[in-house]
Amino acid sequence: MANVTLTHIAKAYGNGPTVIRDVTIDVRDQEFVVLVGPSGCGKSTLLRMIAGLEDITSGDLLLDGKRINDLPPKDRDIAMVFQNYALYPHMTVFENMAFGLKLRNMAKADIRERVTQAARILEIENLLDRKPKDMSGGQRQRVAIGRAIVREPKVFLFDEPLSNLDAKLRGQTRIELQKLHRQLRATMIYVTHDQVEAMTLGDRIVVLRGGDVMQFDTPLTLYNRPANRFVAGFIGTPPMNFLPGQVRQVDGVRCFITAGVAMNIPITDVAQQTALTPYVGKLVTLGIRAEHLTVVSVNEQAVPLPVRIDALENMGNEALAYVTMGESRLVARLSPTDVLALAVGQSATLFLSTAHAHFFDDETELVIR
Amino acid sequence: MKYFLLALAALTFVYPFIWMLSASLSAESGLGDLTLLPEQFTWNNYVTVFTKIPLGRAFLNSAFVAIITTGLVLITGAMVGYALARYEFVGRDWIFYAIIFTMTLPFQITLIPNYITMVRLGWIDTYLALIVPFSLSSLAVLLFRQAFQSLPQALIDAARIDGAGELRIIFQILVPNVLPTVLTITILTFMGLWNEALWPLIVIRDESTMTMPQLVTLFSVGGRAEGQLGVKIAAAVLLAVPVVILYLFFQKHFIRSMASSGLKD
Repeated sequence: MANVTLTHIAKAYGNGPTVIRDVTIDVRDQEFVVLVGPSGCGKSTLLRMIAGLEDITSGDLLLDGKRINDLPPKDRDIAMVFQNYALYPHMTVFENMAFGLKLRNMAKADIRERVTQAARILEIENLLDRKPKDMSGGQRQRVAIGRAIVREPKVFLFDEPLSNLDAKLRGQTRIELQKLHRQLRATMIYVTHDQVEAMTLGDRIVVLRGGDVMQFDTPLTLYNRPANRFVAGFIGTPPMNFLPGQVRQVDGVRCFITAGVAMNIPITDVAQQTALTPYVGKLVTLGIRAEHLTVVSVNEQAVPLPVRIDALENMGNEALAYVTMGESRLVARLSPTDVLALAVGQSATLFLSTAHAHFFDDETELVIR
Repeated sequence: MKYFLLALAALTFVYPFIWMLSASLSAESGLGDLTLLPEQFTWNNYVTVFTKIPLGRAFLNSAFVAIITTGLVLITGAMVGYALARYEFVGRDWIFYAIIFTMTLPFQITLIPNYITMVRLGWIDTYLALIVPFSLSSLAVLLFRQAFQSLPQALIDAARIDGAGELRIIFQILVPNVLPTVLTITILTFMGLWNEALWPLIVIRDESTMTMPQLVTLFSVGGRAEGQLGVKIAAAVLLAVPVVILYLFFQKHFIRSMASSGLKD
């Protein structure tokens, strides 16, 4: 059992800036939680605070209900995997993995058994006598993970463990980490700036910006129901399209009028109409995912948008069309056959259905629901 | 041409040493010439040195003092260097500057105060007077600090999570990864201590506690060599040999650099 609870955690350096403002998250037993955000959002600091490598300025950090704010790292029963692996260069793989166990006065035979077992799981049995400098990046990363596994900690912490690997290896290791999580049934907290990693690995994801939690939910909820404009723009590749504009009542119909070209987009969804009632006359932003812009009208409510094609990327399985409408740049995910009818530099029509649209308050950036 | 100049320069440096070796093996009458090979080869000069002064005892004293002190310099240097490199505390930079400042002071300036301290502590004619004043070296602090700063913080973090205390982090994790620095400090400190003659002359009067350079100096300028140049030179060669051997042995280690091979920056 290992629940990690952070309540009103904050971090400031001396009299300097606040790095973490007020973070409250609850990581359940055996859960894989990913902390994601742009650089400087405080995700690594938060992880280091959980590890005990950084002091907590205020708030409580609980492990299984016990406050561990003031426990040194070695007494927290956590293990951490670092971005640059942080293997001890002068020790062999075996010694690297055994170091933490030796310091806990474990019997030699037990150490050997645990290291061998971890090495078997990670398929690095043949590397045990090597030194880190004689191994590839991927192998070193496995050893770093092995060093964490042998400790059998309550919680695993990962600090961008894949960012030094090449793209192909990153994909493979991602899948292996998923497997490892299922196998070990351990609580894992994982930091990354890569939202694809976050989406594929996390049971739940914490999106951070400037030391604040933007949203903490499952990957699909983040994608389909983002809480604010930041999450909407951060999660998903390509990022969500945003159209600035205004909500108005036109001929008795509630409409979204885009800024610039002044497109009139009627809002047909009843729930959206109700939600947008207080915003009539105010500035809002419409957000739409690339896959919800189409070349053919999918339903009667879909609104045609006059666009100009800037660039086309056909990957074979899908295609991306980069277009402009007035001042706004949009990207549409189309089928590879649809895109064949389009040409760069020409005008085209894309259809937008408001049923899939999200509206964001321009002042608070929060979603309007 | 380039090689000729280099060879000439090398010869200039090496020649006096070679002459010293050959002179120490020559009979007194053959000492006038600037030759590279001994004139009238003889071991007599060496035999004379050993019969006139307790050189063996002085060698052991020197070795004892140099080894213990070098060990202390490494231990204290690593600890202070680590604190200065990795801890944040009030006045850290000022302490560091103060330590660097002491490097600019010539040893002769602190000679008198140090001597008085030794007298007050009652350490005159003891090994303590030879060891303690040199057991913390500002150069070692500086070199360790720079070396530790170049290692990634993650190495220290990983060790901390593994359960290592600060001393273990210093001596079991960091020091083995800065071996070139350790060797540099060892060689410089050892050579400095081995060749030190002035300080022992001041604090040691008892012949059984004397170090080699002190004894050789006293022997050469103190009249006991009875004006025999060959004997003096033989004593000087005996003084130089251990350091030369040490240097030749460790020379290759300077080149090999372990650096941060287990890490990717």
